[in-house]
Amino acid sequence: MHIPDGYLSPATCAGLGAGMVPAWWAAGRRVRRVVTSRSVPLLALGSAFCFVVMMFNVPVPNGTTAHAAGGVLVAILLGPWAAVIAVSTALLIQALFFGDGGVLAYGANCFNLALVMPMVGYGTYRLAAGRSALTSRRRAVAAGVGGYVGINAGALCVAIELGLQPTLFHDAQGAPLYAPFHLSQTIPAVLGAHLLVAGVVELALTVGVLGYLQRANQPVLRLNPAHARLRHRPAAVDAEPEPASGQGARGGAAGPVRPGRGGGTGWRWALIGLAVMVLLTPLGLLAPGTAFGESSPRQLDLAAYHLDAVPHGLQRYAGFWHGALFDGYGFAGARHPTVAYLVSALVGTLVIGGVVLGLSALVGPRQRRRHGDAAGHPDDAADVDLRAAAGRVQDSGHPGGAPDVDLRAAADRVENSAHDAPAEAPDRDAAAAVPA
Amino acid sequence: MTATLPPAAPVPTARWLLEPQVGLCACAPSGRRRKGTYVTRTIDAAAGVVRAALFAEDAAAQPGLLQRLDARVKLVTLLGLLVAVSLVQQIPVLVVAYAATLVLAVLSKLPLGAFVRRVWLAIPLFTGIVVLPATLNLITKGHVVVPLGSWFGHRVGMTAPGLTGAARIVLRVATSVSVAVLLTTTTRWTRLLAALRALLVPRMFVLVLGVAYRYLFHLLGSVTDMYEARRARTVGAEDGRSGRAFVAASAGALFGKSHQLAEEVHQAMVARGYVGDARTLSAFRLRALDVAWIAVAVVAAGALVGLDRGL
Repeated sequence: MHIPDGYLSPATCAGLGAGMVPAWWAAGRRVRRVVTSRSVPLLALGSAFCFVVMMFNVPVPNGTTAHAAGGVLVAILLGPWAAVIAVSTALLIQALFFGDGGVLAYGANCFNLALVMPMVGYGTYRLAAGRSALTSRRRAVAAGVGGYVGINAGALCVAIELGLQPTLFHDAQGAPLYAPFHLSQTIPAVLGAHLLVAGVVELALTVGVLGYLQRANQPVLRLNPAHARLRHRPAAVDAEPEPASGQGARGGAAGPVRPGRGGGTGWRWALIGLAVMVLLTPLGLLAPGTAFGESSPRQLDLAAYHLDAVPHGLQRYAGFWHGALFDGYGFAGARHPTVAYLVSALVGTLVIGGVVLGLSALVGPRQRRRHGDAAGHPDDAADVDLRAAAGRVQDSGHPGGAPDVDLRAAADRVENSAHDAPAEAPDRDAAAAVPA
Repeated sequence: MTATLPPAAPVPTARWLLEPQVGLCACAPSGRRRKGTYVTRTIDAAAGVVRAALFAEDAAAQPGLLQRLDARVKLVTLLGLLVAVSLVQQIPVLVVAYAATLVLAVLSKLPLGAFVRRVWLAIPLFTGIVVLPATLNLITKGHVVVPLGSWFGHRVGMTAPGLTGAARIVLRVATSVSVAVLLTTTTRWTRLLAALRALLVPRMFVLVLGVAYRYLFHLLGSVTDMYEARRARTVGAEDGRSGRAFVAASAGALFGKSHQLAEEVHQAMVARGYVGDARTLSAFRLRALDVAWIAVAVVAAGALVGLDRGL
């Protein structure tokens, strides 16, 4: 999925590179605030890990192998902002030290693989995982889904960047100056390969790694600040009465409390994703032609399909509905097509969202009642905590590892568990700075 | 040897020893040929990275033209040349630019055969295959110069704009990759890091990059160890499911290792007085050769773009 130099115009490279600068800046700030002096080795080893994971060959059916990209995996393990820096560093090592992937196209590659892929994948993962326990099967599967969605989002960006080139950059004879394929060809080609093969490989690897770490090395899973918070789940649930939203009252004392803060972040991610897609809808204006007489049977190029006449059924049902609010996603008289696309997308999203909300309001209370009866919640949490503790003991007693590091890490964890917000505990680094 | 042994009761050989195994050897009479399992491929990939790094270290030690240049100067000028190449549209100018990279490789005492092979096998050859369909009139409209017959009643052939576009992108990719390889193979990575620092890349990022590059080879060693051990204890073919489980487990174990290593590196840094800020030694000095090279690069970039617009 790396774009080499020569495929993209310098303008595209410069634009995407400039777009990455605020992302890097924000990521640097976030990461330094969360892990401070520890950040350098952690990020460095994270990016070395990322580089190496990109070389892993995963066996796929039919006896061949495929590569994984690993961006979403790193985002789940280290947090999305750390992943932005780790994957960018891995890409820079590939471009500068090994001549793999473009130097000028570095910004574009970072945009696809180090920003879109981890962010979209991680957002999907958080949405799908909800507030499930760190060791739950749901969390591992959610990671896989995140990997699948993330790599496809990255691939879609690659396809759009490549597909825009012949439209925007060609010479007087129409010969393409850079990548030659149009959007209508790049999107099916790139996305098809990723939906069918690369996405599945990514899914398998991400689920497998999460499952392995859940069994074998839980402390490492807590490196991500969002995961470290999960440890406090029983306490946090008690400490979050949330009287303002009224959700606590609805959930009751015994029933499972509906997602509070975690659910809020999920919604935020979903809304951001939707907003981005709404903003991207005018890209459809670039696609040439219509899909098999979509807007009118008369526009059908009959010769291209070896037809003598417009098919009878198509003719009959074509004018079935005339009451469309935005005919052809546009305003009357086809003025301001870009604005019309944006408005259509917004209205459509709102309508669909309203329908889904209405349906979930109808179905939701019944399901919640059924789950409330099961009431496995407190035991569940205690079980998870015990398992986590067992994992920690096992880890610190591991004969192969350096014992003092593990003890120190364990001490850090114990210390952190005294705080409500472990990620920002300031004395974490002070403790590490004292010589052993 | 077997002939001298006294005749003994024939011991039946274990069945699995006689069966041709797909996973063991590509030459086995199994009727199917494989290029190697995921294990060998991962080991090969790891070895390939180390080989590339060693090739670059060897090349950087040669007393050539580009090796003598200041790393900052080299980085900036080669980036400028890359931009110039990406602006060029005429095929003859691109050919001249590609020939110039070959001259630079010779002047820098790089083995020409290995240089050409490394550049072309990496991307341009693949690019040529990928853009081949784009030369057809189905994708790039225009005058058909190479008719290839008809398909469902349509004439199919390669068009003049299609062929021009394909040649342009293959040549441009080849030239760009050559310039990038020239940069990477003639500069030691420590100098490249220092050059990045001089180009106002944030210090923290350069530090992360340096530590990552250093420990990359450590992790590659771990991967090779794990996969060699796997190969040593695998008999016969392996099914995909257990293979995927092993890949996932080895990636997970590798992450555990890299985290532990990060803790150790952090402690070692703290023990040596690291307080969260990085310092670099900068002993850069511009010499006459550097100044001359800057002039040559500026003139070359200007000439490429000017020639392109003039043609």
